[in-house]
Amino acid sequence: MDPSKSRDSAESTRVIQFPNDVLERILSLIDSHRDRNAVSLVSKAWYNAERWTRRHVFIGNCYAVSPQIVARRFPNIRSVMLKGKPRFSDFNLVPPNWGADVHGWLAVFADQYPQLEELRLKRMTVTDESLKFLARKFHNFRVLSLLSCDGFSTDGLEAIATDCRHLTELDIQENGIDDISGNWLSCFPENFTSMEVLNFASLSSDVNFDALERLVSQCKSLKILKVNKSITLEQLQRLLVRAPQLTELGTGSFLQELTAHQNEELERAFIGCKYLHALSGLWEATTLYLPVLYPACTNLTFLNLSYAALQSEELAKLVAHCPRLQRLWVLDTVEDVGLEAVASSCPLLEELRVFPADPYDQDINRGVTESGFLAVSLGCRKLHYVLYFCRQMTNAAVARIVQNCPGFTHFRLCIMKPGQPDYLTNEPMDEGFGAVVKTCTNLRRLGVSGLLTDLTFEYIGRYAKNLETLSVAFAGGSDLGMKSILVGCPKLRKLEIRDCPFGNEALLSGLEKYESMRSLWMSACKVTLHGCKTLATQRPRLNVEVMKDEEIDDGQSYKVYVYRTVAGPRTDAPSFVHTL
Amino acid sequence: RTRRGDLNTDLRLGLSIVSPDAQKDNWIGPSVSKQREQRQDWPPIKSLLRTTLAVAGKADTNVHNVHNNDNSDRRRTSLFVKVYMEGVPIGRKLDLLTLHNYDDLISTLAHMFTTSITCPNGDRADHAKSLHVLTYEDREGDWMMVGDVPWEMFMTTVKRLKITRADRC
Repeated sequence: MDPSKSRDSAESTRVIQFPNDVLERILSLIDSHRDRNAVSLVSKAWYNAERWTRRHVFIGNCYAVSPQIVARRFPNIRSVMLKGKPRFSDFNLVPPNWGADVHGWLAVFADQYPQLEELRLKRMTVTDESLKFLARKFHNFRVLSLLSCDGFSTDGLEAIATDCRHLTELDIQENGIDDISGNWLSCFPENFTSMEVLNFASLSSDVNFDALERLVSQCKSLKILKVNKSITLEQLQRLLVRAPQLTELGTGSFLQELTAHQNEELERAFIGCKYLHALSGLWEATTLYLPVLYPACTNLTFLNLSYAALQSEELAKLVAHCPRLQRLWVLDTVEDVGLEAVASSCPLLEELRVFPADPYDQDINRGVTESGFLAVSLGCRKLHYVLYFCRQMTNAAVARIVQNCPGFTHFRLCIMKPGQPDYLTNEPMDEGFGAVVKTCTNLRRLGVSGLLTDLTFEYIGRYAKNLETLSVAFAGGSDLGMKSILVGCPKLRKLEIRDCPFGNEALLSGLEKYESMRSLWMSACKVTLHGCKTLATQRPRLNVEVMKDEEIDDGQSYKVYVYRTVAGPRTDAPSFVHTL
Repeated sequence: RTRRGDLNTDLRLGLSIVSPDAQKDNWIGPSVSKQREQRQDWPPIKSLLRTTLAVAGKADTNVHNVHNNDNSDRRRTSLFVKVYMEGVPIGRKLDLLTLHNYDDLISTLAHMFTTSITCPNGDRADHAKSLHVLTYEDREGDWMMVGDVPWEMFMTTVKRLKITRADRC
């Protein structure tokens, strides 16, 4: 420390002498929160300059920090992104009323950030009262994005539409909400013109079409419009002719009996959408009306067909018109043949997600198999993000896939039957996933499935040096598996595990690790209360939260959620959550 | 240990899961069962997609079938709809996938219910001779005359059939 100390202080003196307002001016150009976090570590002066110039704060775990701490450090925030519940709450593994209520945050923000403009929430609980509070207290509010949130109803949206005069973005996605009526859309004022992003695709109630049409006509800056299923093809046509500037479109229902004339008009409307690069919605789309889309597909980079159960032929014809496609989400009704068509039509494809149309169907003759995935890997060499639900897979196929596309950053394979081996060799899928981590050196996110022994985790620990997120279910043989991960993966941030035979020894092997991670989730594993208590005692800067697992009879099974925090134990924990 | 409620193991799944060697080293948790399906926590798909698919699966089985006229690998092997005749409380069920067009439909029903039904493509003059006409309930809940739309489109919207007396239409 000593020889360099004088050099350091000389350099830091030079930094301090850098005029503050110039420093702030420069730093205000930095947006990425990771860069900013790095900047703040340089010196006290830089820390201060950074905190005064930060406009956007990203909080990956709402319980890792308190709103008071945030407000104290960053006085000038205009935009907040907050994430709440652990990801497994998407799959009903977290009981209702668990927490992550945004209201506490809003109360502090109303006081400290009255100029707040943007709020993006993911997996938070948001009540109608909170939405009304938001609409009332923040006069400059512009952007509301709610993803996988719960607790509110369309009544809350009415308050937003009525009172947020400068709203530019209302993005409501996949929330567990009480959809009472579509009246909220009619609450936008008559002279409302500011909307740029409107997404209400996941709401089901009918909206007043005249109100929607008027809104679309008046908001000349509207770039992203995603309507819900209640909007018909005929209505869609009327919206499109008023908004040819759209860059992203989510259609309504794509099934309606149109006359030849209406069909023509719709086709012309799509031809007029020259700037469209993303398309979604398409509920119940069939061969009958898909062709009207073809003219709009030339510049398409993202196509989301998760709600259109297309057959292979239909998909093949559609993607033939999408040469520039980069991201594709489909249902497995398209089967391997459909994926082969994608492979030959979309050489620029980077991301593929295939969802199961019939998730509980055990029939192995449905859906996609290893050959569809393989075909895409052969035709789309830029592929780096895959989420693939299938009923059968082989180690050999996985190995070949990553050989074809070694650039994978996100590899999420879900063989739907838990504990299913390679269907040809009957062996565990260890070698397949081993090949993934050995070959894909840029791998950041991994989802494993099928029959897996500790060997898979040994491979992951040894090779996956850039891995940040790992999801494990129904896998592993002993504590060794989880240990390998915790000891081996230096960049691990999120680890979520369910139904695996990992116990206290495995849990405690991560003692050195958890403070460098965002969180750990374990449910239906072999961890006991004693193990969790030990962890909590030895690491006071972690919150170790346990919930009784109601699904399991022995009374000793717990769901464990461990995360680092500077805010101490939760003050709002419900009775079923115990912080040890 | 047992999962509460997991009293029925699905034998078919239980047998196919694991090879004898692997079983020594591995934890195989509770197999996929009806209970897991009810808990809806596996496979890991988000609830909006899950509910959309559940609704689509039950109500729109029609949609998948229409385009598989050529290949034998049908998504579904049957499409049964209820058929009632006016005045008869007990209905019948008819698999529309066994039929190819409206003529098939009319002749099958005429046979099933032992009556004459107006053929939608036929001469309107014949109308007077038939005792019954065929109507159907579409996806929007409206009752319509059979025969106005192309057969393929009819297959995607029909929910049930009713044979009504000709003098009522």
